[in-house]
Amino acid sequence: MSLEGKLALITGSGRGIGRAIALKLASQGADIVVNYFRHRESAEQTAKDIEALGTKVEVIRANVGDPAKIDEMFDTIRSKFGRLDILISNAASGVGRPIAEIDAKAWEWTMDINARALLLCAQRAAKLMGEKGGKIVSISSLGSRFALPSYTIVGVSKAAVEALTRYLAIELAPLNICVNAVAASAVETEALKFYFKEGLMKDVRQATPAGRMVVPEDVASVVAFLCSEEAFMIRGQTIIIDGGTSVGLFALPGKGGQ
Amino acid sequence: MTVEEQVREIVARITRVDKSIITRHSTFKEIKADSLDIVQALVAVEETFGIEIPDEEAQKFQNFGDFVSYVEKQVAQKGKA
Repeated sequence: MSLEGKLALITGSGRGIGRAIALKLASQGADIVVNYFRHRESAEQTAKDIEALGTKVEVIRANVGDPAKIDEMFDTIRSKFGRLDILISNAASGVGRPIAEIDAKAWEWTMDINARALLLCAQRAAKLMGEKGGKIVSISSLGSRFALPSYTIVGVSKAAVEALTRYLAIELAPLNICVNAVAASAVETEALKFYFKEGLMKDVRQATPAGRMVVPEDVASVVAFLCSEEAFMIRGQTIIIDGGTSVGLFALPGKGGQ
Repeated sequence: MTVEEQVREIVARITRVDKSIITRHSTFKEIKADSLDIVQALVAVEETFGIEIPDEEAQKFQNFGDFVSYVEKQVAQKGKA
């Protein structure tokens, strides 16, 4: 698979899953636009690592929860490159609270960044993709379909991402744009370590039939495949990357299966 | 309005507390600012002054005074540039 000559924007690519996707696409030859919002040092490090792979990189700071900032980011891409081939809608935020403590502010913050940004970025990206079309991949999570503690708003926003991915896949198909999503279980990143205690990480490892936690590179590999021509006939799907966790719930030791 | 007064107004608006209770020694906990309030305050201050406050720096703020001092420094540097 080669992405030589392609330009990819990965939102939220300073750290974690976004960074792994940026490096993976760069390793296949794509030029990269690194978008970040809160962690400049990480974004600059990601940019350096991409340059070391021999492709071009542009770093753009933008809060994708703000429509005006999304516009500015795409204006910059249009003026510097004049086109875009790949959009990875990865940037995410969230407020981990039980339902009783969710207020309108936390809801809007999360939905704006996680769900609305996909819509607004896809609209702008589609206009930059030209006659050859392009690829859009959004990043969801298993919380879209399974109820996790204090994950309500993020889970709902990810369900919206998956639904929007299906609608985009249909409406953008005539423009030769392939749209899909990936949904991972808990991915071993700095953000996860920030929210989860080690005990929970151990639980996740034990609940994964594949024997280890999902790492960002697992997600990046699937995203790269969805960006390839080999995946041309996959449209509007959400590919689950969880080492078998969601299909093996009843086969786990101590869960009644063995 | 001074930088401090503007930052105080922003923080008071976001956390919905009376600005008179926010002193330079107030911790974010005392202002009842949760993590979302803090991020929203950072974003609002960045846009007001046209500066950038990376999380790496924001995490060092022990109280409102640290926040204001950082913003004052950035605004002064921007003025020189």
